Amino acid sequence: MLLEARVHDDPLSLTFAALADPTRRAILAQLMSGEHSVTELAGPFAMTLPAVTKHLKVLERAGLITRSREAQWRPCKLDARPLRQVADWTAGYRQFWEGNLDHLDDYLTQLQAPDQLKAQAEPEQPAAHTTTITEGDHS
Amino acid sequence: MTSTDTTPVFTITRTFHAPRELVFRAWTQPEHLARWMSSAGMTQFSTSLDLRPGGVFHYGLRTPDGQELWGKWVFREIEAPSRLVFVSSFSDAAGGFTRHPMAADWPLETLSTVTFTEQAGQTVLTLSAAPLNASESERQTFAGAVAGMDQGWGGTFAQLETYLADVQP
Repeated sequence: MLLEARVHDDPLSLTFAALADPTRRAILAQLMSGEHSVTELAGPFAMTLPAVTKHLKVLERAGLITRSREAQWRPCKLDARPLRQVADWTAGYRQFWEGNLDHLDDYLTQLQAPDQLKAQAEPEQPAAHTTTITEGDHS
Repeated sequence: MTSTDTTPVFTITRTFHAPRELVFRAWTQPEHLARWMSSAGMTQFSTSLDLRPGGVFHYGLRTPDGQELWGKWVFREIEAPSRLVFVSSFSDAAGGFTRHPMAADWPLETLSTVTFTEQAGQTVLTLSAAPLNASESERQTFAGAVAGMDQGWGGTFAQLETYLADVQP
């Protein structure tokens, strides 16, 4: 039901729906090495040809693969463009937090280095105290 | 009331070689947050923080090309040094709510829970984030991004990134 709802959405949702299945992701991974026939693609899976064809149709609808109409064996070819969109998109949120936590890790290390700990914890405290005392003398 | 059964949740866990109190302070004190809470290449140039339930952490990030990006957290639960719950959102200079700059269908608000656990002198931090008050399509957008990260897509995407770098420089 979720899948059906997504299909009516934008192209990115269509791509996500197509990618939500491990068999289809494996097919895409296989196609990264070049064009393959349906029979070749079915090879690694305990699956009938019609079942594989069904997956290919989902991938084709999402624009992730194209199937040649010229050659009789109708080879499948990866179209990377929607994937680029997905990669950019998913990388965004993950990278945001991974990047931040990398920074935190560096920062905590820096904070705990003995020399820098002192330097950063109390910068220019004496100067502030001096000012207060001077003001007190005037009154 | 919305059911939480179908709410997609993003989770990330890290272990830090630092005492829990320090890690917690790094998440709750503005002078600390300003030092690390910024995406790659960005700098946090504006920071204000009011640490109490209902209080706000409002920050501005500057991208390498000079653009400004604002975000805010509204604190819900503060249990030093073990737990922090806040509602995060994109923001503007005035502290309002704004949409994701790149994705109109990203949830306006995300409920984030951060736990800090002590383990053999180290601190295990877990952040989980889920859409809050989101529409069905916003939840699906979030779910799509979460699925990419959490459901074993990692390998596929690593492969994919290499591939994309090759074919589309």
